[in-house]
Amino acid sequence: MGSKVVQLLLRATPPSSPLFSFRKSDFPVQNKRFYVGKSSLEPPNVERLADTARISLTPQQVEEFAPKIQQVVDWFGQLQAVDLQSIEPAIRAGTEGDNLRNDVPEIFDNRDAMIASVPSYEDSYIKVPKVLHKE
Amino acid sequence: MLSSAQTTPRLLRSPTTTAAAAALKCSSQIITTRKSLISRQTSAVDLAKSFLHRLRRTEPQLNSFLYVPPDEAVLKQAEDLDKKIKNNEELGPLAGVLVGIKDNICTYDMPSTAGSKLLENYRPPYDATAVRKLRACGAIVVGKTNLDEFGMGSTTEASAYQVTANPWDLSRVPGGSSGGSAAAVSARQCMVSLGSDTGGSVRQPASFCGVVGLKPTYGRVSRYGLVSYASSLDVIGCFGSSVADAGILLNSISGHDKNDATSSSREVPDYASQFLEIDDLESKPLKGLRVGVIRETLEDGVDLEVISSVRDAVSHLEELGCLVTEVSLPSFSLGLPAYYILASSESSSNLSRYDGVRYGNQVFGDELNSLYGDSRAQGFGSEVKMRILMGTYALSAGYYDAYYKRAQQVRTIIRNSFKEALDKNDILISPAAPSVAYKIGEKKNDPLAMYAGDIMTVNVNLAGLPALVLPCGFVEGGSKGLPVGIQMIGAAFDEEKLLKIGHIFEQTLQGCSFVPPIVADEWTP
Repeated sequence: MGSKVVQLLLRATPPSSPLFSFRKSDFPVQNKRFYVGKSSLEPPNVERLADTARISLTPQQVEEFAPKIQQVVDWFGQLQAVDLQSIEPAIRAGTEGDNLRNDVPEIFDNRDAMIASVPSYEDSYIKVPKVLHKE
Repeated sequence: MLSSAQTTPRLLRSPTTTAAAAALKCSSQIITTRKSLISRQTSAVDLAKSFLHRLRRTEPQLNSFLYVPPDEAVLKQAEDLDKKIKNNEELGPLAGVLVGIKDNICTYDMPSTAGSKLLENYRPPYDATAVRKLRACGAIVVGKTNLDEFGMGSTTEASAYQVTANPWDLSRVPGGSSGGSAAAVSARQCMVSLGSDTGGSVRQPASFCGVVGLKPTYGRVSRYGLVSYASSLDVIGCFGSSVADAGILLNSISGHDKNDATSSSREVPDYASQFLEIDDLESKPLKGLRVGVIRETLEDGVDLEVISSVRDAVSHLEELGCLVTEVSLPSFSLGLPAYYILASSESSSNLSRYDGVRYGNQVFGDELNSLYGDSRAQGFGSEVKMRILMGTYALSAGYYDAYYKRAQQVRTIIRNSFKEALDKNDILISPAAPSVAYKIGEKKNDPLAMYAGDIMTVNVNLAGLPALVLPCGFVEGGSKGLPVGIQMIGAAFDEEKLLKIGHIFEQTLQGCSFVPPIVADEWTP
């Protein structure tokens, strides 16, 4: 059941199922080497990514995450093989124009509840530790 | 193999019913509630007590809810409603309706955790617009339901708190991420519920739990108060035990909201008026409607029994007068990697607000970066961390063109291919998932295997279209079979057509009792 699906997703030879892999004839492939879906870009440096994303990972966690992330990023790589020249990127599906409200400030009617959620609040200030490093 | 009585519901030869078929008819819980309250056949308090009793009885096995207020809080609202009825006051369209709300939708009087430890006990200062609207219609919120953390997952196993069990087989998952909402409606712990759908999170659990799941068009329902996962894909969706219930619920929550700039200002049609009584139908009630079955969704990689159930359902549509053809969408398989690139990228941005400073659990540090780093490391689960890291990678300088931009371009291709197909067809058909519910633990350590299950649903989010999933059959498993859902996809803002077709399909499906064994003995519609 599920394992059948994964096999189709990861098979080294082009699967016969169009469901998990697009038909080459419909979408010209720029570089056939990448049909299988290995990313041609530098692999993710998980430690550096964790720093950028401000998530403290232990070295052990970095080791655990790295192969899983690599596997998914390789799978993302199959999009590099698709010819997308002259296709406009779509920010979102809808095409409705501006539905913006007027740029007029309004008072939120439950400020007390918002302030009650702040973990460290003192004398109308939100308290945080000092910033040590300038990046 | 199951006996023929259990494989698929027997299909009516013609929609005019015999008395026996009428007795089996699935009725709208919302309409039934309204009728019995107005006719004084029952009281709101008695109804609430009966549901709460069943909720409490089944909760230890199901774990659908993360929070249920004390009974008195719910019963007080029911009492107030009974007073209104006694005084012949006007009742809202959802009067007395007991609703479950997915815990990533803000309720000011109940915790809203989004299934995360980071937001443990967080009380939002406001109700989401969808919640405010349904409360204004008279609905009573009965609790907050379980989900995969921040909506990231397809089983509820990524919830930081508990795993919800599938009411049809307690060793299986209810689907996700809105697994709690689906299970709660399936087990009749509440009448209807709200979920959210970014890549299938309403539709797949609806299929796994044998209930109706409705994903509206992007922009149909305000996202104000929905915890953001992927802002260009997220929608709030509806669960019900009948198509009518999902439609009436949608009616009450739809519409433009000044607090959500992506909400559509298009007028909301009266979805609630679609639901004709079965006796009023002519012999081919769906005559002339063009149905396109997506070829790529009924081939290799999909369970044979699921294919068979869906094909039987398609035959039923033909009997009702539909013109069925096969449609090919060659770009179909590109949607899955494109979706995961877009969703993880957008989520890495959306979840950067969880820094432990203004709300949520804080891990204090001696300097700011460690406050951020440790609060997030301890507050987020593994799946959430993974997606943030993948998204951070895909958006990094130098990689944006290779991943995010390409995924956006694929979105254009998919949107156009659906539009083309829906210019020639009224609706498109596919299964809601390639299989029935998995065993708990089956997909846990294999991200790609988990993602593969979303293949049927993600393209609809990329294209922003509405889709309805309703139960159409059973597959062997559990003690009474495992439900299979069929997905009907409509053109943008064409929920009316979906609801009409879905309602008639459901009402003419003889033997359509999708009540799970855990409550079947005591359930009377």
